[in-house]
Amino acid sequence: MALVRSIWWNKNKYKLSGLILLFPIVFLYQSLTPKFPPAWPAQQLGEFKVSPLPLDLKAPYVHHDDFVKDFMVIFEEGEISNMRQGYANIGVEALPMSILQRSENGILHGNKHGQHVHAIAAKQLNATDSLWVSIQNWQGEWSVARWPLPPELLP
Amino acid sequence: MAKISNRFWFMLHGWVSLPIWLLFCFICITGTVAVVSHEITWLTNPQSRAVNPDDLPAKPVSELMTIVEERYPSAAVTGAMTFESYLVNVVMFSDTDKPFAMAYVNQYTGEIQQINQGITFIGFMRSLHSWLLFPWRGGYSVGYYLVCSMALFMLASLVTGLIVYKRFWRSFLTPKLRIHQGRKTLLADLHKLSGVWSIWFIAIMSVTGLWYLVQAIFWHADIDIEPHAPLIEAAQLPVIQKGDTSSATASVSFAEALTLAQTRFPEFKASYVTKPEHSRDMYHLSGSGDHLFYDQYSYNLSINPWTGEVASASSPETMTGIQTLMHIADPLHYGTLGGIWTKFIWFIFGLILSGMSITGFMMWGLRNVRAFKQAEEKYLATEMLGEMR
Repeated sequence: MALVRSIWWNKNKYKLSGLILLFPIVFLYQSLTPKFPPAWPAQQLGEFKVSPLPLDLKAPYVHHDDFVKDFMVIFEEGEISNMRQGYANIGVEALPMSILQRSENGILHGNKHGQHVHAIAAKQLNATDSLWVSIQNWQGEWSVARWPLPPELLP
Repeated sequence: MAKISNRFWFMLHGWVSLPIWLLFCFICITGTVAVVSHEITWLTNPQSRAVNPDDLPAKPVSELMTIVEERYPSAAVTGAMTFESYLVNVVMFSDTDKPFAMAYVNQYTGEIQQINQGITFIGFMRSLHSWLLFPWRGGYSVGYYLVCSMALFMLASLVTGLIVYKRFWRSFLTPKLRIHQGRKTLLADLHKLSGVWSIWFIAIMSVTGLWYLVQAIFWHADIDIEPHAPLIEAAQLPVIQKGDTSSATASVSFAEALTLAQTRFPEFKASYVTKPEHSRDMYHLSGSGDHLFYDQYSYNLSINPWTGEVASASSPETMTGIQTLMHIADPLHYGTLGGIWTKFIWFIFGLILSGMSITGFMMWGLRNVRAFKQAEEKYLATEMLGEMR
């Protein structure tokens, strides 16, 4: 009986790896119909009014020696070209400029139609953490805004 | 040391290749198509063809970027890509109604022939082949690991296959393909003949595939094989007086950056260039030169848009061993080293390799069909005996 029970397995076991090929179909569908969590309320930073949108609700990941979490930063008001520098981090306070300026992590980047950021974070997000966005204009003036982390982002 | 039997090597050949044959076959087929994806695009999309009836010289990418900026004044041009001389250049941009778009610009006439906002056939085939569209996060994709690990199975199949097929070199001198002695013989001859004539190809695919596996581990571990492009010091950025509401603009244009690149490397041919993504970013220019075995990104420059300083520059002459590996792997894997003719050779051998996984499985199937039938008959007989009792 054991031999008979294994017949189907013996006949088909070498075709099973093909099941992996179902994943590309799923991932293609996902990439063609992307879904993002809702954007957070907009806040004013000097002339800029920005609204962060997390790209997913997953935990931070390692990127060039820092844990980071990705956001799209929507500029509802203000010319992006008027920004000398912009940074984002997640923590209990906005990181000092000396730390923010040391690497590309945390820097707002993109073009005049949209900005993206790998916000510097800790390995695990906490309820006391907030997202901090710091923007400097060409006159050297800094503006900082804070968004408390929503519960769905916390582990 | 005990001699390992031929039967063992034969079984090992099956163990390393049969369980993954369907996945492997798919990866081979997608890779085979990806090799000629530029040519398929040329054939199927007339707007992708860089027709040049007046034999005009190719315009520099900086000029093509300006053409797009003038045509779409609200657009933000972010970079450009160049391909074979018979394909248009691609200028990447975003606009108020286009989060990401590609303008197909004829580099000879300057005409914008198509605006593409979707996924391209070339990009789709290469992504499907390289990581099976598994998502990337944190510098790795499970699909990329899956595909790269096939190199190990392929190498093991090659070695065990050659051990099993004694005196395989005879296939070079007296190739044998018996077409009238039954399906089993035909399949076996086809499989062996294809394998022997593809030794060089399988070896190249295995070695480059193993390199891609190493590269994936480097990416995952956040280790840069090439130094990361430098960042402009914040202190170097201009500060405008209070009360003056204007914004600072870079003093070095992209066209000037391209000229600087060509001054540094006279043989430099731009293949992938990007504009700064923020005020502390640089112009990044990647291109090819006169080195046959190096890829189209073997020359790299980062140029400061505020000062015109060439902040970093690398070329085949300055590469470390591991960087050289990185830049010679693609031409060997894609078959681009000799232009369209080597691509076609790679395409044909890609088909042969795909066929080998199919013939291998068919041989296993034929060998086992009888065993399955016998087992089923035995089961039926046992059942009938049981019922009679």
